[in-house]
Amino acid sequence: MRLVTAIVKPFKLDDVKHALETLGVHGLTVSEVQGFGRQKGHTEVYRGAEYTVDFVPKVRVEVLVDDHDAERVVDALITAARTGKIGDGKVWVTPVETLVRVRTGERGADAL
Amino acid sequence: MPTHSDPAKLKAARESLLGRPELVGAPLRKALTELYDRWLTGLVPKVPGVALVAVGGLGRREPAPYSDLDLMLVHSGRTGQVAEIADAIWYPVWDAKVGLDHSVRTVEQALAVAKEDLKAALGLLYTRHIAGDVALTGRLRDAVLEAWRADAVRRLPELLAAVRERWVAHGEAAFLLEPQLKESRGGLRDVHALQALAAAQLADWPSGAVGAAYGALLDVRGELHRRAGRPQDRLVLQEQAGIASVLGHADDTSLLRAVSESARTVAFAVDTAWRRVDTELATRRSRWRGRRRSPERRPLAAGVVEQDGEVVLARDADPWSDPGLMLRAAAAAARSGRPLAPFALSRLATESAPLPEPWPADARDSLVALLSAGRPALPVLEALDQAGLMVRLIPEWEQVRFLPQHNAIHRFTVDRHLMETAAAATELARRVARPDLLVLGAFLHDIGKGFPGDHSRSGAEVARRVAVRLGLPAADVETVQAMARWHLLLPDTATHRDLEDPATVRVVTDAVSGSSGLLELLHALAQADARATGPGVWTEWKAGLITDLVRRAARALTGAPPPGPTELAPAVAELAAVGELAVRLDGDQVTVVAPDARGLLSRTAGVLALHLLDVRAADIRTLGETAVNVFVVAPRFGRPPDPALLRDDLRRALAGMLPLGDRIAAKEAAYPTSSGAAIGPPPRVLWLDDAATDATVLELRAADAVGLLYRVTAALERCAVDVRAARLETLGGAVVDAFYLVGSDGKPLLDGVVRSGIEEAVLAATGS
Repeated sequence: MRLVTAIVKPFKLDDVKHALETLGVHGLTVSEVQGFGRQKGHTEVYRGAEYTVDFVPKVRVEVLVDDHDAERVVDALITAARTGKIGDGKVWVTPVETLVRVRTGERGADAL
Repeated sequence: MPTHSDPAKLKAARESLLGRPELVGAPLRKALTELYDRWLTGLVPKVPGVALVAVGGLGRREPAPYSDLDLMLVHSGRTGQVAEIADAIWYPVWDAKVGLDHSVRTVEQALAVAKEDLKAALGLLYTRHIAGDVALTGRLRDAVLEAWRADAVRRLPELLAAVRERWVAHGEAAFLLEPQLKESRGGLRDVHALQALAAAQLADWPSGAVGAAYGALLDVRGELHRRAGRPQDRLVLQEQAGIASVLGHADDTSLLRAVSESARTVAFAVDTAWRRVDTELATRRSRWRGRRRSPERRPLAAGVVEQDGEVVLARDADPWSDPGLMLRAAAAAARSGRPLAPFALSRLATESAPLPEPWPADARDSLVALLSAGRPALPVLEALDQAGLMVRLIPEWEQVRFLPQHNAIHRFTVDRHLMETAAAATELARRVARPDLLVLGAFLHDIGKGFPGDHSRSGAEVARRVAVRLGLPAADVETVQAMARWHLLLPDTATHRDLEDPATVRVVTDAVSGSSGLLELLHALAQADARATGPGVWTEWKAGLITDLVRRAARALTGAPPPGPTELAPAVAELAAVGELAVRLDGDQVTVVAPDARGLLSRTAGVLALHLLDVRAADIRTLGETAVNVFVVAPRFGRPPDPALLRDDLRRALAGMLPLGDRIAAKEAAYPTSSGAAIGPPPRVLWLDDAATDATVLELRAADAVGLLYRVTAALERCAVDVRAARLETLGGAVVDAFYLVGSDGKPLLDGVVRSGIEEAVLAATGS
């Protein structure tokens, strides 16, 4: 199993969700996160007051998939989340050692 | 053992009762009581000096299907076989798998336990004889009640603390989507607390509306137990539809509405009763010390007085001839943080004349002042609602009253959410130029939820209708309507659209029709709305996105030109042409024309404050060497001052012959605006650089107070700046005052150090 994690722009969440659904991904976890990459924080002047924008709001999407599905899911994520501008985010894949469905105790691919 | 007390039979009999669908509510409670009583009677031997009594729920004849039986075996202490008798009762109950809360005590032991344990004491108040020695039960009952009454002064604070603790742990039943029927505020235990007060002869026995509400809650709890098959008191979502149909409600919404209404009735009765108890206990204590208390009275507004910690009507107040009195009293109550006295409330409810439409300005101001009081407004709004006055003021309110929201992120019913949003909005009052429209828009933003169709669209229509009725000017009506229409625009757009895309910004600028004022109102409303929805709805994450969107939209908006000077009335223009000192009183307008001099404005403001005239608006200007100051004033206590007196004082003040500072300080001490804490967020000073070319505009946003204008203008004068012009507005308890300032050299103030000195002086003058 693999854990696919993506950091994307908030407004791209609906597209990402839709793309994963068409791939047959049944579940995903979404969290509201903040951070910065190459985009960095920036300073803005608004109504005379200076605002320091340290972190940029993003959405973090996590999907558990079978090994052979990982590549397709990554591709779908990238296509759905891309705007071509700075701050589009990142996608990475990590191996998962054990997976258990809490309710039934199913393990491994059965728990997906 | 008698056959009818066979454990298996008790369980079977109870199940058979619960299987009869026609047994619902009070008949079910009666049938259960009779079943338990009959069955238990068969377990008690006829021995003198022993009695089985029911306490708690069974004592009240209100057992829920699966609640524990609260039983006490009372004995005289002289009977040898008490242990055997007890075993012969408790074991069959246990064997029948019925929950049991049991004890074996003498009367003296019961009293001792009650003295130490509040919960036991409260349960014992409902002692009811089931079987055995009747005289013994009677002795226990009398002793328990007597001890409770005698000890009331000591026990009640303990009871109140327990009640409050319960409220904190279980929330308010009226606004929760899964209320705890027993423990939440407004739940069954609150009625028991009222009954305990009644038993101490400090309150009436809860009957009438409270009795009916209690019965309704008991009915729901009974059905909840029956359906869950166990003692469950939280009205969970999945049981709501089933219970609704059994109890004759159209659907789960209607059931929750009924629970909410009952819980509010109970909570309101508890609040009222505790206030009575406080007063009563204070009187008793002072009576013991041999002193007589005379009620303390303090005027709050025209026709409204504070007496003994409550807001009452003045002796000569007449709700019929003074239709604005209701809202004035409500605003005064909220702003002083005191409750409206029940008698005043019932007089307002029965004697008030309907407000003319559109509402007069003072009624509108009072409504805004009430809403602007923040969280202290909540109990007052609840009180108005209980008395049926909310619906009378705003008939559309009926549609959202107790209306539940089937959405997991919402914590409150729609009506309470609107009140909470208005309260949250007051925290942001200094962020906007129109705090009055912010609270009104917040109060109406979701009103469409009670109407068919998309709630933003229907809400916009309803909000417009209400705003027109309130008598708002056309432009303000549009703003309030747009706030309801677009209250979801910023959060939705910020989280779902690409902020980099110019089209996204255009969606916002188009919706607000190019108005940066509306944009800032929507921004504050989005935050207040989220805060009032539930915990975790307003996150730093969301705030960041929305702020970013607002910033982009604000930059895209071209600033509207500031409104030009209004024309002077011909009579005033004539006085200005003469240029000598002249004071003119015309209705609610005070005009002062005088040769311009530093100190003129503050002294004028001081004299107005001295005569208890609140400045609602003012237009200050300088024409050549002549100052023309026009004030719109409202007498704080209804009676306008004698014009001759006002004129004399003005002349003396301008001549420097009136010690204004001391006199105003004395007035302030006599009429504190609230019971301590300042109302609303701290004051704010803004420098609006692009608002004027020949002067620097300082805008002060602060809570209104007696003598505020005097202190602020005096502070400006001490900073050696001239007020070239000013436009002042009081918007329901908040002031938004724009001062056009120049330095002694007649030039705008650009130096940062000078500005911060002025800012500090002005903020200090607001007294915060």
